[in-house]
Amino acid sequence: MAGKGRAFATIVALAFLSGCIAHTEPAELFALTPDIPKNRAMQTRMFETPNERELLSASAAVLQDLGFQVEESQRQVGFLRATKERSAREYGQYIRQVLVLILSLGKLMQPVDLHQKIAASLIARPLNAEATRQEVRIMFYRVVWQGDGQVDNQYIPPGEQHMEMIRDPEIYQQFFAKLSKAVFLEAHRI
Amino acid sequence: MNKSRLHITLLGLGLLLAGSPLLQSCAVPQPAPDLLAPTEAQMKIRSLQTRTFDLTDRNAAIRGVIASLQDLGFIIERANEGLGLVTAARFAEPNYYDVVTITVTVRQETADKMSFRANAIYNNKPIEDPKVYQNFFAALQRALFLSQESTPSP
Repeated sequence: MAGKGRAFATIVALAFLSGCIAHTEPAELFALTPDIPKNRAMQTRMFETPNERELLSASAAVLQDLGFQVEESQRQVGFLRATKERSAREYGQYIRQVLVLILSLGKLMQPVDLHQKIAASLIARPLNAEATRQEVRIMFYRVVWQGDGQVDNQYIPPGEQHMEMIRDPEIYQQFFAKLSKAVFLEAHRI
Repeated sequence: MNKSRLHITLLGLGLLLAGSPLLQSCAVPQPAPDLLAPTEAQMKIRSLQTRTFDLTDRNAAIRGVIASLQDLGFIIERANEGLGLVTAARFAEPNYYDVVTITVTVRQETADKMSFRANAIYNNKPIEDPKVYQNFFAALQRALFLSQESTPSP
């Protein structure tokens, strides 16, 4: 009877674990998908200015205002990368961890998110040959590090990481609102 | 007396027999002398990864590479104008544990020819699927010649 319970717990645990692992074909990742134009529209704004350098330095200043550290910059190609590290702890996850622990009779302890690194990659580029119009595109993403956990008798060491793109339109709107204020220009949607 | 000596000899022989495969597994495999020599497969991969376009403006070429990678949803991680180098990555959504990384180098071959070389890696394995590179160069071509393509060709 105990053996049966144990096998069941293992199956449940495996189902939990394998639920998130489905391999993608690399070829698919280089093809244009329907959600690409939507993301592009969210991440991009156009500015009527010939001054690319000003746009880039204002972008760096806005990112600093948002708590980011600029890590890399290349003026010649209009490139900036900035990061900030924050805690990723959430009450909801701890509550779920306890619930799962109770429901699985102490067999399964799901790891919770502990720490995250939020990063922004920004490119400013001229849109026409005379360079009177500039486009700014920014992408936010984050890497999350998880704490330890346990599946049946197997210990899951801490430090496992997962990555995700940030797709919340509000974050992008906030950034572009601040940027257009900083350069005294209107940010046009493309 | 004699019997115990026989035992010891047998034991020694047994240990020797048991130990020899163990020893063998410890030996470090020697790299083949042609490890770094180009193979035919490598040449084929290189030709898949390289494409030449008629372009004169190097900066525009690098910006084109960046734009095409962004269009494909890649995050630009590093860019170096001086070396003509762009490195970008993309999470293999919808699962968040796999990463595709691509490095593109832009080199001016002649005054009006620009050569692009792309290396893509899936997690830590090089991608050798020709389709991946075809898709990338199609996106690159779109980004580089967007203005030309908009006029109807004869």
